[in-house]
Amino acid sequence: MRMLRNVMRNLFSRPSTRLEPQRRAPIPGVRGTVAFETADCVYCGACGLRCPAKAIEVDRPARTISFDLFKCVGCACCVEACKKGCVQMREAYAHPSYQKPDILFQGAPVLKREEK
Amino acid sequence: MALKTVIPFGPQHPVLPEPIQLKLVMKDEVVQEAIPHIGYVHRGIEKAAEKMDYVQNVFLVERICGICSFLHALCYCEAIEKLLPCEVPPRARYLRVIWGELHRLQSQHLWLGLFADAFGYESLFMEFWRNRERVMDLFEKTAGSRIIISTCCIGGVRRDISDEHLEEILQTLKEVERALDHSIPALLEDYTVRKRIVGKGVLTAEKAVELGAVGPVLRASGIAEDTRMTGYAAYDELDFKPVVETAGDCYARAKVRALECYQGIELIRQAIQRLPDGEIAARPRGRPNGRVVTRVEQPRGELLYMVAANGSQKLERMRVRTPTFANVPPLVAMLPGCEFADVPVITLSIDPCISCTER
Repeated sequence: MRMLRNVMRNLFSRPSTRLEPQRRAPIPGVRGTVAFETADCVYCGACGLRCPAKAIEVDRPARTISFDLFKCVGCACCVEACKKGCVQMREAYAHPSYQKPDILFQGAPVLKREEK
Repeated sequence: MALKTVIPFGPQHPVLPEPIQLKLVMKDEVVQEAIPHIGYVHRGIEKAAEKMDYVQNVFLVERICGICSFLHALCYCEAIEKLLPCEVPPRARYLRVIWGELHRLQSQHLWLGLFADAFGYESLFMEFWRNRERVMDLFEKTAGSRIIISTCCIGGVRRDISDEHLEEILQTLKEVERALDHSIPALLEDYTVRKRIVGKGVLTAEKAVELGAVGPVLRASGIAEDTRMTGYAAYDELDFKPVVETAGDCYARAKVRALECYQGIELIRQAIQRLPDGEIAARPRGRPNGRVVTRVEQPRGELLYMVAANGSQKLERMRVRTPTFANVPPLVAMLPGCEFADVPVITLSIDPCISCTER
């Protein structure tokens, strides 16, 4: 009888584990992932110089920023370094990918943006 | 006369989260001698620290150990602050205590869980780890990430904790304390558990001092030594006494760590109560020059950093001595004379963190 009560409770109660990041909203204040807004960027390279993981490379003559998400440690040093406010932390988890080509080729968010 | 056999324990063993090998010289079922072999996870972090900017090194040293990352950063920052010199604002010192003690709290939970798992008490392991998750959520809310929180910087801290979050910390600590009241007696008072841990791996006080044991291993042998007593961060303004047990066995080590959870909760409450207003970081000026040694109490014991700088952007040398490195000789002294089945429990009782040790 007691067991039946447990079974019924487990059938209808919420799972005790939390859902994976894709299906739950991030906790407010989470550091999240780096996002670039290149509209105001002057390509000074301060973000790349301050980055301890060397995940950001700024090419001034070509006016490109290449960002390797897999090297990024999420310390937000680039956000502090940017005087223009072009680098922001987005309150979102980096979503897992279930297809290998997404991780290895297309999914790697190497941002290359030309000046307008 | 029975023949002696050498049994390799590790580096891959279900009870060890990290690779360390103990070559056990056995006579029947009794350990005669233990020979440790380390060097499986050396990453060359000390060398890497010489290649990087001294400000960027904060993020590197945090990655020496995941479980006590904040305390590594704290120890490194204290060293650089002594060299610059740089005065840390009072609020930052208290925030450092809060995050440091939260780290200690989650680390002791992790260890208590793993220790329960070492003798096969898996439901207790899950109890402790579920409770630990509450602390991890606090990190995510206050610092932005769960494990490597990157809040310590040279001259202070990088993030402030808002009043709502302080209130939430106090609320969560109440829940954590209630859950601990429920699960710690299951570890310390249970008949079967006591059979496995009482009187196993005894380390006397003289031996502990002679072999240079640190942290809970030393305190469980009856010596009241805690690096927090030296008064780094804001510890000189808080009231606490080191937790001491006298038996020196696995039970005493478990009890010291269990009581340190309560001590940590009490320290966080004190720190929140006395938290002053004001700046959270001072701007460091100049470049470090000279040689300094700093010590910080980690969950596992005393952590020591030696930093040598020559007035340039990069450090000349950085040396780290982690508590597990100091606790391996006592472990080797504890093992002879014990049964083979007790080896996992005794090994885990020093809380080995091998990736710390080898860096």
